Amino acid sequence: MTLSRSQKRGLVGASLLAFVLIMVGIIASYFGSKYQLRIVYGSYVSLMVVLALQVFMGNARITNLSHSAFMGIGAYAAAICVTPVAMKKISLPSAPWGLNAFALDPVTSAVIAIAITAAIALLIGLILARLSGIGATIVSLAVLVIVHSLFLYRTDIFKGNQAFFGIPQVFTLTSAVIIAVIMVYVVRGFKESRWGIALRASADDEISAAAMGVNVHRLRLLAWVLSCVLLAVAGIAYSYYLGTISARPFYFNHVFLTLAMLILGGMRTVTGAVLGTFLISFGLEWVRWLETGPHILGLKFPEVLGLSGVVLGSVIVLIMALRPGGIMGDREIEDFILKE
Amino acid sequence: MEFVAQQIMNALSFGAEYALLALGLAIVFSIMGLVNFAHGEIIAVGGYTMVAMAALSLNNPLIVVGAAIFAASIGAVTLERVAFRPVRYADPTTGLLTAFGVSIVLQNLFLLLVSPRPIAVTSLYFLEWPIPFAGLRISSLQLFETLTTIIVIVVMMLFLKRTVLGLAMRAAALDFEMVRLTGIKANRVFATAFLISGVLAGIACVFIMARRGSVDPHLGFDPVLMAFVACVVGGFGSLPGAVIGGFLLGAIEVAMLVLLPQSLGGMTEAFVFGSIALLLIWRPDGILTPPREKGDKQ
Repeated sequence: MTLSRSQKRGLVGASLLAFVLIMVGIIASYFGSKYQLRIVYGSYVSLMVVLALQVFMGNARITNLSHSAFMGIGAYAAAICVTPVAMKKISLPSAPWGLNAFALDPVTSAVIAIAITAAIALLIGLILARLSGIGATIVSLAVLVIVHSLFLYRTDIFKGNQAFFGIPQVFTLTSAVIIAVIMVYVVRGFKESRWGIALRASADDEISAAAMGVNVHRLRLLAWVLSCVLLAVAGIAYSYYLGTISARPFYFNHVFLTLAMLILGGMRTVTGAVLGTFLISFGLEWVRWLETGPHILGLKFPEVLGLSGVVLGSVIVLIMALRPGGIMGDREIEDFILKE
Repeated sequence: MEFVAQQIMNALSFGAEYALLALGLAIVFSIMGLVNFAHGEIIAVGGYTMVAMAALSLNNPLIVVGAAIFAASIGAVTLERVAFRPVRYADPTTGLLTAFGVSIVLQNLFLLLVSPRPIAVTSLYFLEWPIPFAGLRISSLQLFETLTTIIVIVVMMLFLKRTVLGLAMRAAALDFEMVRLTGIKANRVFATAFLISGVLAGIACVFIMARRGSVDPHLGFDPVLMAFVACVVGGFGSLPGAVIGGFLLGAIEVAMLVLLPQSLGGMTEAFVFGSIALLLIWRPDGILTPPREKGDKQ
């Protein structure tokens, strides 16, 4: 298989990003305290979500608001499979279909979780791929609400807003870095593949692309399912590290947060996704510190709850007003190094 | 019989609320292609104005209601001026994300400057009393809500059909460039659209507050979510579609509340949204949008 010129550039770009991700991981694990490691891990999980989001939003250019729901589906499916029976007897005493009577190893659980998420994504995608623009966005919003109310309603399976605990903590920061690096290659690979190019063409001009023989709906469906599979992986990484999950983190706040990361960096590029995630993850941590009313240079600052939200929203508004393409626009990381 | 009449009244008043909000969303969308996610925060502005009125011990109901509607309209026009003008001619996605950002900022400002907790507002309780009617007891609030919505729709229709500015707005929904060429100021058209949506949100706010009796930073979120769905069902940007979608959604919601067994009570929202998704498979562009090939000149 020979690679086209843009695919070769994509490989260089993905490798550069992978290098950055590995370096951040190494620096964090050498110098970070336990608390800081958790934050870094959290930002790698966010990165997985944002990369997954980029597959669909960046290529099909349809705003998706249901991504946190799919992350939740993956996280819960894996958690239900992998949690030891003794633990599930306590936490899910009345689970139906014998869900609390078996336990699998982490790898099998992850595979099952991904398969379940992919199946659900395929069913929803059959509807969603036919819609375009605002209609698709609102339907994705409906999906988010439906999934969330299912999580809350079936407390016998998902425990609702209470913590689902006892998930074996098998992941470390190293695993998250490895997964994120693989994901960067997959996402960039999809972008430069013939499907990615055709899909981006259809986003620019749907009718012309269709006239050139692009099957727009099928490609959208493909990107959607791939995106949801990657979201499931992010959900699994989340639950395998924290050991407890609940329905709350898979709802609107998380949707807005990850969306802000993607559009700050620029949703058209993988580099933008990485840049936006790190800027907002670490920037927000700093704002949260300000929020608690710290002492700076002997001055006591007041406690301002909600400041992080104001900053996050302002970032979105300013980026949209000043640079609608995000920081990176259409440029990938290798464009700064390689010649045209 | 009484039960059926009561449920019809419920459906009408739910539908009236959604229709009011959906109309406000649709008029903005039809003209500038903006999906205004910050609409819910306009409702909250109205709610907090009522709190401020109570703090100033202005308890005259007319003043409270008037101030809430006034504040909501000023809020909407201010948002247009400050936040949405830079993205006026941008694509819908940019507008949508901007509106998201505005919504997050406002919600957190309420949280930061006022309080994260609900604040009780008692000045609107007078709106609710039972009316005996042909052997039935009807809630006055539901009656007011339905009647007000009908009046608002009629007034809006007259404005759009009988005035020059109304004509300009209908024309702007079809071809904005052409409207500007005829000498109508773009700023005025946009400001009017937001003013109308603000007034509608203010009116909806009065009824929401009369029913809930308290205001918190997320006051407008759930109603506006439903209004969005109403807009999509009716065909986004179509004003009659927004009204029909709103009332249809109200009917579906009440039907689900009545028909679903008690044990599925927590799932009402999921069933409503699920049935909407099914509706969209049948008509992907909403009920009122005529079937149109992509690329047809609008």
